[in-house]
Amino acid sequence: MRDPFTVLGVDESAGDAEIRRRYLALVRDFPPDHAPDRFREYRAAYEALSDERKRLEMTLLHTNAAALSRLSMAAVHAASPGSSRPTKQTLAALLAEGIMRTVTD
Amino acid sequence: MKKPQRSGPAPSAPIGTLAAQAAEALQQGRFKEAVDLFKQLLRQEPRPDWKQSLTDAYRGRARTLAAKKMFKEAAIVLDNTIAPDGTLQDPMFYLHCLLRDGQLQKAAVHALQYIGTERRLAAAEHAALEALTAALLMAVPLRADPARPIPAERTRWLKLAAAAREALAAWVAGASAEAMEPLLNRISLRSAFRPVRLLLKSLISTPQDAERSRRLLLEAIPPGSPFLAFREAVEAAMPGERTLDADGWHRLTPVQQAFVTEARGLPAAAAQFLARSAEAARSGPATLFGFLLKQSDLPRAEIRSACLNLLPQIPDRLAQFEKSFGPLTELERSRIQALAAEARGDWGKAERSWRVAATALGDGHEDRQARLSRGVVFRHLARLASQHPEIEGGETLDDPVIFYLERSCDADPDYVPAVLDLIGHYREESRDKDWHRLADDAVRRFPDNSAVLLQATQSAMARKAYKKAAGFAHKLLRIDPINPGVRRQMIELQVAHARKQMRAARPDLAAKELAAAAEWERADAPSALLRIAHALVELRTGQGEQAQARLREGVALAGGGVAGWFRTALEAELMKLTGRDAKLLHQELGRARATPPTREAVMAVVLTLSQPDALENKRAVAGLLFGMRTWLLQAAAIDWPPTEFQALAETLTRFEAFELLHEYARAARRREPGNPDWRFHEIVARTQGDAARLSMDEMDDLMQMAVAAAARQDFHAAARIERFLGGDARMPSGRRRRAVESLTDDFDTEDIQTQVAAMMDTMPKGMTDGVRELVMAFGRDRAVTHMIEQFRASAPGGPDMPEPVLRALCEAMVAKAMGGGLPGRGSTPRKGRF
Repeated sequence: MRDPFTVLGVDESAGDAEIRRRYLALVRDFPPDHAPDRFREYRAAYEALSDERKRLEMTLLHTNAAALSRLSMAAVHAASPGSSRPTKQTLAALLAEGIMRTVTD
Repeated sequence: MKKPQRSGPAPSAPIGTLAAQAAEALQQGRFKEAVDLFKQLLRQEPRPDWKQSLTDAYRGRARTLAAKKMFKEAAIVLDNTIAPDGTLQDPMFYLHCLLRDGQLQKAAVHALQYIGTERRLAAAEHAALEALTAALLMAVPLRADPARPIPAERTRWLKLAAAAREALAAWVAGASAEAMEPLLNRISLRSAFRPVRLLLKSLISTPQDAERSRRLLLEAIPPGSPFLAFREAVEAAMPGERTLDADGWHRLTPVQQAFVTEARGLPAAAAQFLARSAEAARSGPATLFGFLLKQSDLPRAEIRSACLNLLPQIPDRLAQFEKSFGPLTELERSRIQALAAEARGDWGKAERSWRVAATALGDGHEDRQARLSRGVVFRHLARLASQHPEIEGGETLDDPVIFYLERSCDADPDYVPAVLDLIGHYREESRDKDWHRLADDAVRRFPDNSAVLLQATQSAMARKAYKKAAGFAHKLLRIDPINPGVRRQMIELQVAHARKQMRAARPDLAAKELAAAAEWERADAPSALLRIAHALVELRTGQGEQAQARLREGVALAGGGVAGWFRTALEAELMKLTGRDAKLLHQELGRARATPPTREAVMAVVLTLSQPDALENKRAVAGLLFGMRTWLLQAAAIDWPPTEFQALAETLTRFEAFELLHEYARAARRREPGNPDWRFHEIVARTQGDAARLSMDEMDDLMQMAVAAAARQDFHAAARIERFLGGDARMPSGRRRRAVESLTDDFDTEDIQTQVAAMMDTMPKGMTDGVRELVMAFGRDRAVTHMIEQFRASAPGGPDMPEPVLRALCEAMVAKAMGGGLPGRGSTPRKGRF
């Protein structure tokens, strides 16, 4: 499982209320009947962070990529969306990836 | 080396023999051989059924190769099955092999062969083939060769593919929404190229367009479609209610991330950061660490946090980190060192580092966060100690799991699971005083916790504090009215009281106890024990008719037959029921024994014998077992599952029925000679559970079995053997320490320590290495046992040296070799682990 802070997109210092709010928002967007795998992952991440001791266990006994994710997000949201076009090469790679996924999944 | 000759039939074999062998090879999945044989047959006579069989053999061979990821070879084999019209029987499998081998162009050409042909494919396979063909034609442009005419349908597909590619290229070139519309209209919505039109339509939609309509467009591309990766990338790139978050970003593949980056038109620096950080992450933590350190424009605190999280994987970068961000705190440093030590399996170092971290967290009397953190660290150490014998715990050789759990509870006394865990370990290690103290303390602090109440009930029962136990049980049942465990325990306790009254010839008081016991019974879960006990009391008081009815009910509830009557006979023995009534019960049991034994019946007898009162009345039970001997011997022929055999063997050992155990073990070995468990029980039976009677061969066998059990991580078997070797096979592990402790008390501990210390000073280096190797191979306690055996066998003074002195010496050698001090005074040997 990926680290729960990154999965829920919360800071390592987030409290009970914030974590719950974020979890409920994600579950609303990806309900179990539409995205069962994603829901299971959110559920597991929420379980892992749902109380103070578990959060301490996560921060002390494990590493996480939350800070790295925040840095990436800051970069992703640096411009207004939809203002450019991708290259031909990226599109070709994307099409090939979709084809390969049908034979590897 | 010379290649072994292939075992195939001689080419001159008659055609009938060859055909039979070919069919058999195909049937048994020997496809390579089947291909050769059918080829030979077809050379002699081109029968259509043999042609089909040859195709089947090729397909089978290709599947075997594909299963080994040899896709190129699989595709080559399948080439042999292509029909004159260019198609084959299993097109999706062939395309799968070509694509996995990276042959997109060949796959596109082949996929197109099926368009406009009459190949009969199942509807789902047909749809999947069309979708894949459309995606392939988008990725690999194909043009019709004017010199080679193709069916009209195929021409139409090629035109549609060209239109879709043109629309895509126009969008990439920056065409406006208006310019895109006519291009999109050329892509039929009823064709397999529909996803391209939907994707482009959503990409050119304006921010004013409803989010919902965009989502509907994209959701029309189903999971399983070759265009799904494209759809996911478009969803992430488009503005909407769901802004792209870290989780969404990490779910994208690198190609999809590149699409999002480009489609969002990120500034060069941001795009570069994303691309390079992804690349650095793929190259490993050290590269990523180096990359992050160079990012001077990004928030320093976030960079520090990201780097800090990489350090456990690259602890050699600690100095570089401190140079960039200043010194780490003691807690940060020791945590990183502990995690790094865990990653490389250096458990001793991990333990030391976690202990430094716990100290760095301080006493934490005021700071709740620090207290809870220390609790977390100590619980983690307890968990590690239960898995890795290298974890030492405290200065004494006390159980390190208990050592750390105690510290965890001191730091965070409100965490109930740790308290329960510690109670469990005290019980396991037979530290009854500590168990009762903690159970009392826990129930005072957590009076409404059902798990704590159950522990308190059991603790009170073990101390024979019946009223207290009943009080806790009542309280527990108010919280958890069903709880069958506590109900059963309370019934057993009260029946035990009734037995005492019966033995004291006070059936009236016994009846009162049983009436009270009935309060614990649930109507939907009647107790066999209670009914049988009640019936026996009634027999004694002359209420024959009522007793008979209740007895029949109780026997039926206890499983009927031997199971039910054995339980009744045992209960009668425990109540010291004599005379005509007892004789009648034994006659009933005798009649029941006429039925051959079943697994269930024997296991019911085993379960009956596991109750504490049976264990305390071994003579009575031994007499009963003797009467059951013939019936139980018949059951030796049953093919016992290992867990049931183990329970049975332990029961027979406990009641010293070694002759029976020997028969069971022998029968099991006849069925399964290679199973070491049966050999172990055979040895236990032969030596009558006394390790002192072991022969050298048996000792060697047991040692090997223990090592093999440890290697296959069968810790139960390893501990069982160790327990037997260490003393008494009938004694649970926790009790053993008491025996050793009491033995040690006969010697002057100070004398032993003085002698041992003097010997340690002159312990040669070579011997230290040897001892360390032993500990690594066997674990600490087994190494000590092994050394004791070695001393006994070889050292001149060994055999005459008293056991406690020899053990203390070996423990001291182990402690010295492993770099620790000598074991402290009054220390007790730790429960061994393999």
